Amino acid sequence: MEKPSPPCLPGLSIHSACMNIRVPKDWELPESAATPEREYRARSRRDFLKTAGLGIAGSVLLRPGARAATAGFPSRANPDYPGTGLKVTPYNLITSYNNFYEFGMDKGDPVGNANNGWNTEPWTVEIGGLARNPGKWDVDDLVKKFGGTEERVYRHRCVEAWSMVVPWDGFPLAKLVDFADPKPEAKYVQFTSFMDPKHAEGQRSESFGWPYLEGLRLDEARNELALIATGIYGKPIPNQNGAPLRLVTPWKYGFKGIKSIVRVDFTGKEPYNTWQRLASNEYGFYANVNPQVDHPRWSQASEKVIGGGIFSGRQATLMFNGYERQVAALYKGLDLARYY
Amino acid sequence: MSFLEKLLRSRVFVLTAIILPGIWPAWPILDGNPTVLADPAKFLLHHFGFVACVLLAVVLSLSPLRVLFPKSRLASALNRHRRTVGVSAFFYALIHLGFQLVHENGWPTFWIDLRKPFLLVGVATLVILSLLAATSFNAAVRWMGGRRWKNLHRLAYLAAALAAYHQAAARKIFPVQVLWIFVPLAVLELARMVRQTLKNRPRPAAAAGVSGVP
Repeated sequence: MEKPSPPCLPGLSIHSACMNIRVPKDWELPESAATPEREYRARSRRDFLKTAGLGIAGSVLLRPGARAATAGFPSRANPDYPGTGLKVTPYNLITSYNNFYEFGMDKGDPVGNANNGWNTEPWTVEIGGLARNPGKWDVDDLVKKFGGTEERVYRHRCVEAWSMVVPWDGFPLAKLVDFADPKPEAKYVQFTSFMDPKHAEGQRSESFGWPYLEGLRLDEARNELALIATGIYGKPIPNQNGAPLRLVTPWKYGFKGIKSIVRVDFTGKEPYNTWQRLASNEYGFYANVNPQVDHPRWSQASEKVIGGGIFSGRQATLMFNGYERQVAALYKGLDLARYY
Repeated sequence: MSFLEKLLRSRVFVLTAIILPGIWPAWPILDGNPTVLADPAKFLLHHFGFVACVLLAVVLSLSPLRVLFPKSRLASALNRHRRTVGVSAFFYALIHLGFQLVHENGWPTFWIDLRKPFLLVGVATLVILSLLAATSFNAAVRWMGGRRWKNLHRLAYLAAALAAYHQAAARKIFPVQVLWIFVPLAVLELARMVRQTLKNRPRPAAAAGVSGVP
């Protein structure tokens, strides 16, 4: 198993052992990606229970470990996104510092609340709208159809001016788009998240207008960077990170990365995403990472690196979060200050 | 004197109650709470700001409590500690600023962010609190004169309003805790104003006499 950071007090002592958070080298397969033993055992046990017709009992027994989209592992590392020069954020921080308002307002809420009876397995995604190949698909079947999962290490920049580096597992969104086969009049893809107020306490308040909704222009969705993640650190993605499948667009602020997707619709109209509807003066449709365009309440010029301890430096935020080469062409001639 | 009254009069008790929230953050940090360790500076920043807001709301609630419940011995016991609580609010706010600087890794980012009303309002609040803390000594009252001193210290109400805005703007969405902290204060102040208005009005009997009902 990936050993998360040792018990230490980041920043409290400059000389402590905490300074050596182990960073896997680019050529290393994360230890966890090989065969996570606990996951492996959980899976075989689950299969046994299912065979024995004890599916319900099994899901109760295995609640903490039961996660969807177990197909596709181990992932192949994508050599184009090895995360060279990036310091990968420890697993326990990625999975316990989450903005997932469906499961609570504080970043420490989702790790508990999203694993308290909310079942992400089995999970069905519906493709609809202006698609020639609409239908409902099981997540595991989709992953198999797309040839398994690959690992990509991406920077992750939140609109709240903090950042992580996440080793995602997943498949390119372009594969899903091609599979759906959008009609010529489709210009956008709209994603809808789940709705389950019984298990997601945050959804009992209506002020957000659940379910969460996000969208991309079709050419953005086809960009090589756009990923549908089904895992982190070579393991099925935990519920609090958006199991069983979430969007990852590393050149955009984190809120574009809609979690726990249940619908993918192709439309001719620009989707009206959740945060834009909540505060359109602060959050737009594009949400491209841009150090020159500030949030009305704080600067976006720099970001806090998660997991570095109290006195960890900030680092300068890069245009398109450092992915200018891959995505700048998408926005040629677009006024980025106006279309934020 | 009841036990509760003795407790509330006790300086040791009040100081302990004020200092404990300042020590509490050590627990999740030593415990290795990953959500806290993800960004400890921000956690401490928010915690100390939160405590400063609570203390500010508490200290401003004390005098309306005494006006509204003039016979309550508990209200007057608590009112002994107004200076202590008020000065503590200032110190928590000062530590909060310190962690803002740690969080922003020094002054350069801080100056950039100071262009935003969110941070500017926070700094304005702290400026007011430091003026009030600096004039919190008995000598300052004598030197300024009671009336001027009182007028200056009315700025605390402005500080509370600014703090409420600052706290509300700190999150992507409106944090409900702002309401828990500042709505009770607003209700108490409103009640005090109503009470004082009623008290200053001529008595109904006298008014009836003036109107000359036959």
